[in-house]
Amino acid sequence: MQGVAIPITMVAGDSYIHRLNPLPKLFIALGVLILSFATRNPLVLGVVFALGLVFVTAAGIWKSYLRVVGILFPISLTLVVMQSIAPAFPRPWTPITDFGPFTIYQEGIYSGVSMLLRIFSMTTFALVMIMTTHPSDLFTSLQKIGMPYVLNFILTMTLQLIPILQNEFAIVLSAQKSRGMKGSGFGAVLPSMVPVFVGAIERVQQLSISLESRAFGSTGIKTSFRNVTMSLKDYVIMVLGVLATLATTVWVIADKSLDWSRTLIFPPTLSIIIVALAAIGFVAFFILAISYVLRA
Amino acid sequence: MEDKKPIIELKDVTFTYASTETPALKGVNLTIYEGEYVALMGLNGAGKTTLQLTFNGVIPNMMMGDFEGTVIVSGMDTDEYPVREMAKVIGLVFDNPEFQLSQMTVAEEIALGLENIGTPPAEMHRIIAESLEIVGLSGFEDRSPFGLSGGQQQRLSIASALAMKPRIVVMDEPTSNVDPIGKEEIFAVAAQLNRERGMTVIMAEHEVEVMAAYADRIIVLHKGEIVLNGTPHEVFTQVDTLKSIGLRVPQATELAYQLDQKRLASYAGKYPVTTEEAVQDLTDKFGKGG
Ligand SMILES: Nc1ncnc2c1ncn2[C@@H]1O[C@H](COP(=O)(O)OP(=O)(O)O)[C@@H](O)[C@H]1O
Ligand SMILES: [Mg+2]
Repeated sequence: MQGVAIPITMVAGDSYIHRLNPLPKLFIALGVLILSFATRNPLVLGVVFALGLVFVTAAGIWKSYLRVVGILFPISLTLVVMQSIAPAFPRPWTPITDFGPFTIYQEGIYSGVSMLLRIFSMTTFALVMIMTTHPSDLFTSLQKIGMPYVLNFILTMTLQLIPILQNEFAIVLSAQKSRGMKGSGFGAVLPSMVPVFVGAIERVQQLSISLESRAFGSTGIKTSFRNVTMSLKDYVIMVLGVLATLATTVWVIADKSLDWSRTLIFPPTLSIIIVALAAIGFVAFFILAISYVLRA
Repeated sequence: MEDKKPIIELKDVTFTYASTETPALKGVNLTIYEGEYVALMGLNGAGKTTLQLTFNGVIPNMMMGDFEGTVIVSGMDTDEYPVREMAKVIGLVFDNPEFQLSQMTVAEEIALGLENIGTPPAEMHRIIAESLEIVGLSGFEDRSPFGLSGGQQQRLSIASALAMKPRIVVMDEPTSNVDPIGKEEIFAVAAQLNRERGMTVIMAEHEVEVMAAYADRIIVLHKGEIVLNGTPHEVFTQVDTLKSIGLRVPQATELAYQLDQKRLASYAGKYPVTTEEAVQDLTDKFGKGG
C-alpha cells in the first residue's frame, strides 16, 4: 500500500516561490479559484493554466506536479465525456453528431473542455502553493489573521493522521493475510477498515487526553513557535496578485463577448475524436487503477 | 518525610469506569510529598493507570464513570480545575507514546505545550534545546515524531512534559516499548529530574530492581487497593505478601529470602533490596569466616 501515499505534500526547495510568505500564495491561489469559476472561456482559462505552469517551473516542482496530474487528468476526462452527451448548460442544446447511442452537443464539448481547463488552472495554482509552503507555516499565518488555534491544530493533526492510517491499514491487511484470510481484493480491503477505524477512534481519545494534559485549550495568552513574517515584498505581491485576479474576474464576467459557447464551433469529426480519446483515456486509467488495488 | 510538604493528597478515592461493575480504585488514601520519587507497582489491571489519571484530573473530568473522594494537587482540588489548568503543575507521560504525538517536527511537538502556556517564542528555542538535551534527543529538532523509534518517541513525550516545567511528572510504564539501553536512559532521565531539579516523580514500572535502587517510596496496588506503601525496604521485605499477589521481588531480596527459608542465614525479616546491600550483607555473614 506504501505506493499509494498521497503525493500532495511540500517539496523541499529554496526557490523564490518557496521563500514567499504563505499568505500571498494562498490569496493568489484563492483568486485564481474564483476567476476559474467565473468564466468558461477556454482561452482565458488556458492562459491562466499556462501561467500556472510558469510558476511550476519557477518553483522547480515539475516531478511532484506531474504525479498529481497523472491521477487528476484521467479522472477529469470523465467530465469531458459526461458533459459532451449531457451538458451542464441551459437548453436548447445544439446536436453535432451521434456517438453510438448518444448524441454529442456543441455546448457539451465546449462545457467539457472548459471544465477540464478550469480544473487545471485552479489546481495548478493550488499545487504550487501547497508544494512550496510548509503546512505549519501556512497554518500559523492563517492563525495570525484570525483562524482559531483549534482549527490550526485540527488541520495539522489531520495531515499527520493520513499517513498513519495508511500505514495501519497496510499492517492490518498483512496481518489478515498471515492469518490465511484474503489479503487482496475488495473482499480484504473492507473488513480491514473496521480495525483501522476503531484504532483511529481510540487514538483520537488518547490524544485528546494527552493534549489537555499539555494545557491544550487553556485560557490566557498563547504564543506561537513558528515565526512567519510578512515583508514589504510579500505585501506588495499579495496586493498585486489579488488585484490582478479580481480585475480579471470582473472583466470576464462583464465582457459578454467572452462567451464562446455558440461561436467556438467543434466540427463533428473533431468532436468524436475528443470524446473518444477522453473515454479511452479514462477507461485505461480505470482498468490500471483497479488492477493496482486488486494487486495490493 | 515529615519536614516535606504534601503535593498530592487523595482521600477515600473510589472510581468505577462507566459500563463496568467493579471499581478500578477502591477507597484509596495517599499522600505524596514534594520531591519524592514514587514507584507504582502492581499487576496489569491493578489500577496504576487509573490512579495516575486521578492526579491531573483526567479522572473525573474527562473519563466517564463514578468518582468519589477528593484529590488535592498542589493545593488545587482536581474536581474544580480543568485538566488543562492542572497541566501547569503536573505533567503526564502516557504508556503509548505514538498516541501522544501530533506535530510535524520534534521541535513543534515540544513547542505545543509551551504555546499553550504562553511561553515567549525567544525562550521556546532555549527550552526545546534544553529538554531535548536532557532526554538525549539533541539534533532531532526537525525530524518527524512519527519516524522515531518507540524509545525515542517515549523520550520525546517526556521532553514535551518536562519542557513545561511542571512540579510533578507522572510516567505510565515509560519503558514498556523500549529496548534495554533505552530503558536505562529513561530511568537515568527520571532520576536526574528528581535529584537535580527537585521534581516529584511518580512512575508506574515493573522493573523491581531499578525501582528498589531509585525510588524513595514504593506503592503496591492490587485490585484497585493500596496493599503496601513505604520505602523500598519496608515494601520489598514483605516477600510473602508480594508473592501472594503475584509480584516479583528484587533478586537480591529473593536470594536472602531463600537462604532464610532454608535456614542457611537468619535475616529476621530485614532482607536486602539492592545488589549492593546483598553483597555487603553476604560479605558480613559469610565472607569473614571463610
Ligand atoms: N477506559 C476504561 N474503561 C473501562 N474499564 C477500564 C478502562 N481502563 C481501565 N479499565 C479497567 O480498570 C482496571 C484498572 O486498569 P488500569 O488502571 O489500566 O490498570 P494498570 O494500569 O495497573 O494495568 C482494570 O480492570 C481495567 O480493565
Ligand atoms: Mg496501565
